[in-house]
Amino acid sequence: MRKRIYGIETEYGLLVKDSEFRYDPVEIANRIKNHVFSKGLGVLDLHYRANDEPPGNGGFLANGGRLYLDMGHLEYASPECCNLVDLITYNRAGDQLVQDALEELGWSDQVAIIKNNVDLETNATFGCHENYLVGRAFPFDERENLKILSAFLVTQQIFCGAGRIGGCNPHPFRDWDGVSVEVHEDDEPVDFQISQRADHIPNEFYRWVQYNRAIVNTRDEPLSDPSKYRRIHLLVGDSNMSEFATAMKMGTTTLMLDLLEQGFAKKEWILAESVATMRSISRDPEFKWEIILRDGNRSTALELQREILECAKAHLGGSNPETDWILENWESVLNDIPKGPTALIGRVDWATKYWMLSEFKKEENLDWHDAWLKSQDLEYHNLNQQSGLYWGLEETGDAFRKTTDPAIEHSKTRPPRGTRADGRGALIKALTGSHVGYLIDWIGFRLSKNEEPFLMLDPFISYKSEIHDYLKSMELLPQPEE
Amino acid sequence: MDMNDPLRREEKKESAPDRTDSGPKSPDVTRPGRDNLLKRMKKVDPKQSEKYKQRTGQ
Repeated sequence: MRKRIYGIETEYGLLVKDSEFRYDPVEIANRIKNHVFSKGLGVLDLHYRANDEPPGNGGFLANGGRLYLDMGHLEYASPECCNLVDLITYNRAGDQLVQDALEELGWSDQVAIIKNNVDLETNATFGCHENYLVGRAFPFDERENLKILSAFLVTQQIFCGAGRIGGCNPHPFRDWDGVSVEVHEDDEPVDFQISQRADHIPNEFYRWVQYNRAIVNTRDEPLSDPSKYRRIHLLVGDSNMSEFATAMKMGTTTLMLDLLEQGFAKKEWILAESVATMRSISRDPEFKWEIILRDGNRSTALELQREILECAKAHLGGSNPETDWILENWESVLNDIPKGPTALIGRVDWATKYWMLSEFKKEENLDWHDAWLKSQDLEYHNLNQQSGLYWGLEETGDAFRKTTDPAIEHSKTRPPRGTRADGRGALIKALTGSHVGYLIDWIGFRLSKNEEPFLMLDPFISYKSEIHDYLKSMELLPQPEE
Repeated sequence: MDMNDPLRREEKKESAPDRTDSGPKSPDVTRPGRDNLLKRMKKVDPKQSEKYKQRTGQ
């Protein structure tokens, strides 16, 4: 399958700066979500989606995406996008929707929305999940292919990691239900590491998404026609602030999937021990990132990525402009990595953060584990553009842009073209303010006026004209103005 | 073009080998925008990381 559909799910953290603030983080998340829907930007679920997803817990948005609460976190799932520019745009549109709500509620001085994946004081982590639609025939059940994908993902962190101060023991965890679990001192102290998630992934392959997370998540939940499609759902990557890093995370992974699907991926890339290597790469203070391959050969993460890139260039180059853009920028970032973190500012999150923190550490004569430096680490991910550190780079033109502010603004309320999100967006718009009962999911919907469900099993089809006709037959379309 | 021409001096400078180069390293430069960034950083509450208490998610 040469065409792809991408999606990103983002779990946000909430920083309550004012200890006297009247709501706890879960209630704040709930009110931010409700505010978005109260503005008519989507429709809340009227039905249970799961035991922990009661009616009103979340809903679909007019842009085709979804906003909801998951395990106490505010979470946004982008609509299905058929190219990287749309994906980056809709990912940022979600960030903007929740930040707008926070500001409109008048809470932006007391609360900050943090787009990261770790609580630096405990072992809590939360995710950024990547979704790639592939054909059902994709060779995902072959263990050697999973190991190749694992080697790719473990080494990809050198340009996709978001970076963090310190580390944690991956085994103890702070229970999501609020039950306090003893947090052990880490036996391998680390000042700074390049990945936020590396310490939290104890398995190479597994289907769960919490606690026993894996480098390659093997859950088979296609959210489309299961006879035709499979959804590769990955949770090992960090949330990125940089548009370049997000595009490269999704773009290079989709090329890796192409190589696997077309049989060009090589077993020589398989690592001797993926989980430990992911952790050792992330924590290497000298950024040498040495690895041992399954065949006993020694290499580096950079060299392995170069080999995969060369294979992709040979077999996928010239396929289409987006593939060529990915290849060109993959090569560019790999060439710049040896020049040091400052050569990657505005493109690679960990390097940008490392530079910022190093400068501040020097300026204020701080230790890596000083609370002020950890606070700067968090501030890098603050969605508030007036204060968040990443936005300082955009302000000075030092951040790589893949989309534009007007496109992001547009995408808060309108769906992308080229996927079923387009039809879903039209449906949500028609339902907003109507009194018709509905049940909506990624794969279709049912309205109270009709017992028959409307299925949207093929994510490549917009279903827009069929949905238009369906809504028209139920007199659910807005009347044209006289 | 004589030897005092600035373009020629620039050309000569670029072609000179760097005999002290011992491999990849970070360029020692102060980036534009650093001062504005430090201003942002100084406004950050030094204790905010201790207030960030999150539940484990997925």
